Amino acid sequence: MAETILTAAPALDDALVMGPNRVAERGDLSMVSVAIPQGGGPDLEEALQAAFALAMPAPLLGSDTGQIRAISSGADQILLVFPHTAPRPALFVAEKLAGAGYAVDQTDALLMLEIVGPDTPAALERLCPLDFRGMGDGAAARTVMDHIAVTLLRCEAERFQLICARSFAHSLLHAVETAYRDVIEPV
Amino acid sequence: MSQRHRIAGGSIDRRQTLRFTWNGRDLTGHPGDTLASALLANGVRLVGRSFKYHRPRGIFSAGPEEPNALVQLGRGAALEPNTRATVTELRDGLHATSQNHRGPLGWDLLAVNDLLTPFLGAGFYYKTFMWPKAFWERVYEPAIRAAAGLGRLSGAPDPGIYGQGFLHCDLLVIGAGPAGLSAALAAGRAGARVILADEDFLPGGRLNAETHAIDGMPGAAWAAQTAAELATMGNVRLMPRSTVYGAFDHGIYGLLERHPDRAAVETPRQVLWRVYAKRAILAAGATERGIAFADNDRPGVMLAGAVRAYANRWGVAAGRSVAVLTNNDDGWRTAADLAAKGIDVRAIIDTRADAAGDGGAARVITGAAVAGTRGRRGLREVVTTGGARIAVDCLAVAGGWSPNVHLTCHQGGKPVWDDTIAGFVPGAALPPGLTVAGAANGALTLAAALRQGRKAGEAALADLGLRPYPGEDPPAEDEPSQITPFWHVEGRRRAWVDLQNDVTAKDIAQAHAEGFRSVEHLKRYTTLGMATDQGKTANVLGLAILAKTGGRSIPDTGTTVFRPPYTPVTIGAFAGRARGKAFRPTRHTPSHRWAAENGADFVDAGLWLRAQWYRRPGERGWRDSVDREVTTTRTAVGICDVSSLGKIDIQGRDAAAFLNRVYANPFLKLPVGKVRYGLMLREDGFAWDDGTTARLAEHHFVMTTTTANAGAVLRHLEFARQCLWPDLDVHLASITDGWAQFAVAGPQSRALLSQAVDGLDLSNDAFPFMACAETTVFGGTPARLFRISFSGELAYEIAVPARFGDAMIRALMAVGAPLGVVPYGTEALGVMRIEKGHAAGNEINGQTTARMLGLAGMVSPKKDAIGTRLSMRPEMNRPDDLRLMGFRPVDRAAALHAAAHFLTPGDPADMAHDQGWMSSVAFSPSLGHAIGLGFLRHGQDRLGETVRAYDPLRGGDVPVEVCPCDQIDPEGGRQRG
Repeated sequence: MAETILTAAPALDDALVMGPNRVAERGDLSMVSVAIPQGGGPDLEEALQAAFALAMPAPLLGSDTGQIRAISSGADQILLVFPHTAPRPALFVAEKLAGAGYAVDQTDALLMLEIVGPDTPAALERLCPLDFRGMGDGAAARTVMDHIAVTLLRCEAERFQLICARSFAHSLLHAVETAYRDVIEPV
Repeated sequence: MSQRHRIAGGSIDRRQTLRFTWNGRDLTGHPGDTLASALLANGVRLVGRSFKYHRPRGIFSAGPEEPNALVQLGRGAALEPNTRATVTELRDGLHATSQNHRGPLGWDLLAVNDLLTPFLGAGFYYKTFMWPKAFWERVYEPAIRAAAGLGRLSGAPDPGIYGQGFLHCDLLVIGAGPAGLSAALAAGRAGARVILADEDFLPGGRLNAETHAIDGMPGAAWAAQTAAELATMGNVRLMPRSTVYGAFDHGIYGLLERHPDRAAVETPRQVLWRVYAKRAILAAGATERGIAFADNDRPGVMLAGAVRAYANRWGVAAGRSVAVLTNNDDGWRTAADLAAKGIDVRAIIDTRADAAGDGGAARVITGAAVAGTRGRRGLREVVTTGGARIAVDCLAVAGGWSPNVHLTCHQGGKPVWDDTIAGFVPGAALPPGLTVAGAANGALTLAAALRQGRKAGEAALADLGLRPYPGEDPPAEDEPSQITPFWHVEGRRRAWVDLQNDVTAKDIAQAHAEGFRSVEHLKRYTTLGMATDQGKTANVLGLAILAKTGGRSIPDTGTTVFRPPYTPVTIGAFAGRARGKAFRPTRHTPSHRWAAENGADFVDAGLWLRAQWYRRPGERGWRDSVDREVTTTRTAVGICDVSSLGKIDIQGRDAAAFLNRVYANPFLKLPVGKVRYGLMLREDGFAWDDGTTARLAEHHFVMTTTTANAGAVLRHLEFARQCLWPDLDVHLASITDGWAQFAVAGPQSRALLSQAVDGLDLSNDAFPFMACAETTVFGGTPARLFRISFSGELAYEIAVPARFGDAMIRALMAVGAPLGVVPYGTEALGVMRIEKGHAAGNEINGQTTARMLGLAGMVSPKKDAIGTRLSMRPEMNRPDDLRLMGFRPVDRAAALHAAAHFLTPGDPADMAHDQGWMSSVAFSPSLGHAIGLGFLRHGQDRLGETVRAYDPLRGGDVPVEVCPCDQIDPEGGRQRG
């Protein structure tokens, strides 16, 4: 028993390269949802600022310091995304916020797929009901892609991050891959 | 055959020759041709047979309205029937065949139907073939069905790929004719996000078919120049070959984009787009209609605008000697354009007595019409109402233009009659955000169309808060367009109104005589306006004849309205990529890969794929696998991936109070470190879902739900949290996917987990039944451990973060190997829960109560929870109600079937004597015979009684003994041990 150590496995295999485009799981990020306690909005806002220099994100918009990003993810709830540094990210966040929010580790519950490349907007048109071209860089919104609930984050015009429940990883990858195939003309 | 009807001019590329086949004959055309223009260029006049009478038919139009020239494209599995030759872009290697004939097209055996006309009139199937009665189903209907339809499907899966997608814009312009181009230009120059969609492959609409001048250049050149300018704008998306087929709620439009060059490659041949448009302009133009006269359906009788289009756009003479029949000025332009192309125009027959114009060399006959035609497979001669016989191979008929108002009707709008153009124009009630411009709006002349288009574009900009770009209409003229309606030359022979459905003027009169006087009834009785063309050339003509028959005006007669789609949409496009395994997404458990490597057979559980058993070499079938898994689990230890069960993280100062209100049983006093089984009721008091909830900290719980109800329970809880009790401090987060959770069950489960869990005392005293803890496994991986049992054995559920799920199952199997561990699937899980008497989805099916489930004691009367009050209704608490019981066959060798109904021996097998039903059955390897769970009327008083498990569907009638639900370890010693 002593010699057995569990090794974390990504939800997906290697990155997918489709022409000049790349699709890859972002396994280097932690995701923690933080619920706003009843009447505790101002306290959490203050704690976010103090702990991470982050503003409370407005619906459909993210706030971003470059190191940590906050996304409005539901009623009374935000999602923090940051580089994976602590083994128990929810504990890390809870301690940093000093009880100003209820933290739940979502790193394993969610999958983040990053899609980047010149064909990405065209591929996304095949998947995404949202007007992602009208979103600003850094904006985020919930949507549905191929029957899968997805949070779409726009990083740049040709770089997006898709967050879905981890168990859908293979189906979302298939949908994304199919979308790229549909828009990349065969050579 | 050479292109002997090809003449000079047109927008085709003569430098390149395309080869295609028509009914096996090799023909040629050029880029820019449609299949119809290429067929006409090659002198092909007969292209199909009519729907009912199998009359010879030729190309009638030059656009999407085509009722006759429906052809089959491709071959084998890729065969596509009912395709309009008039909108099929010619490509090299195109394989086209005619349809709806038995034997060769020229000698169709079913042309005999034409001789049976007296029996096949309007509504014939309602009143013919009535006797003998039995013949309808066995003879008449099969025969009619065999003869009906147009093209045939291949019967094989379509190998084509179809895509779908979503587009957004400020302004969607539907149609790239003069009005649409003007509108798009105005909006595009102002910086709006514009989509300009046109069903044609060449932008310009009628400009490509006419000789009008705009701004001193040919209209087609202006269209090309304008499209080129639009193409340079980053904010404008030009979408040729794209039909907007429907206007739906909230500014959403359905658009089908075709890529005909992609018939059998990897990218989609068609893409179904959902367009979200803030504003839309319908600039869909107008459709010409015919005039009804005897034998007006012969190949060679065509719409005048189409004959003109073939000459001007495609350089094709639809006939070498042509006569024009018209009731308006537009017909004269056909004659002039044809004459300018060197085509012999022999006569202009204008129904208006006062018509005057320059007919050139043509004989001008006014105040007359065509009384009949001759020519078996193609027109040879027309006879005027004055008796003049004119030898022609083409008759160009100009009956007036009908604005394409279709999309304005898709949300209930009714078009209104406009006497000045003798056509319906859009009514006042348009889909929100949609305006209409150009010919679609009744502006049938060029300058008016350009002007309306620009103004509509500017109005949309203003509506959107954008500044218009200063601009003027390019110089153009309003051509003569006077019309005096003329619909029908009455006579003895049949005059066709709806060519596609073989509806004649007589059919309309007959329908009227039989009482079908509403235009809606007329449509359904005669089929006027149905099928693929939806009566684009027939509707107005048909209702005009109906109006005349009934002595009413056209506005009084009314019109049918249009529903989506505007033109046919391939079913494959609606399916898109959602075919085969991609029909819906699937969810994988964290141990999926390991399970697949170890012989798992997967079953769909909602969207999840779960291992239902693990096959081992030598096992003859699933029963061998399941029996082995059950037996080993009960005698040693088994592991089952239960990650798909819903998991909801619940936190907040009021979390306990919240749970106390959503569960029927108490939760307020659940100690930290303990798990409790909970039963949830619906508001109506029926049982809804069950599961366990663990208290990890004072204000922190983790709830499990059934796999099936995971989403629904979360939704229900969110509703309760946000709407019922917004004052409670409670917060929910789905963590179903966050944890790889494994049930470890069996007498050796403690021994196994002792090797996995770091430093936690798992003894019964330290970690008793229904305990829980946050811990670590295998030297530091975070874990949650619950001592709960679904199997009735000593059992645990151990959860690790999902990333570690694959490593966890491998590690557990490795340390469990000396203990004889086996993985078990959902079937074994089901067998063990039936043996133990636990209710599952078959029992908690939405129709059963806690009392029926034997859980009445869980519904606490001391508190208020969702469903408690209504669960106390007298009808739900009858003394003779159903009760969940266990069952075993009296003859232990007998098999049991779920859904069998219980009967008291001696009672007749009818619903009046129904005693309940068997809900779950299994073969119990532990007991060596079949067992079941089921609901039996006052079953709690019938222990030991024998009842019949009666299953007429499968022929079963098995005496079964009523026993307690838990047939294994009823005292519960194992799970508490």
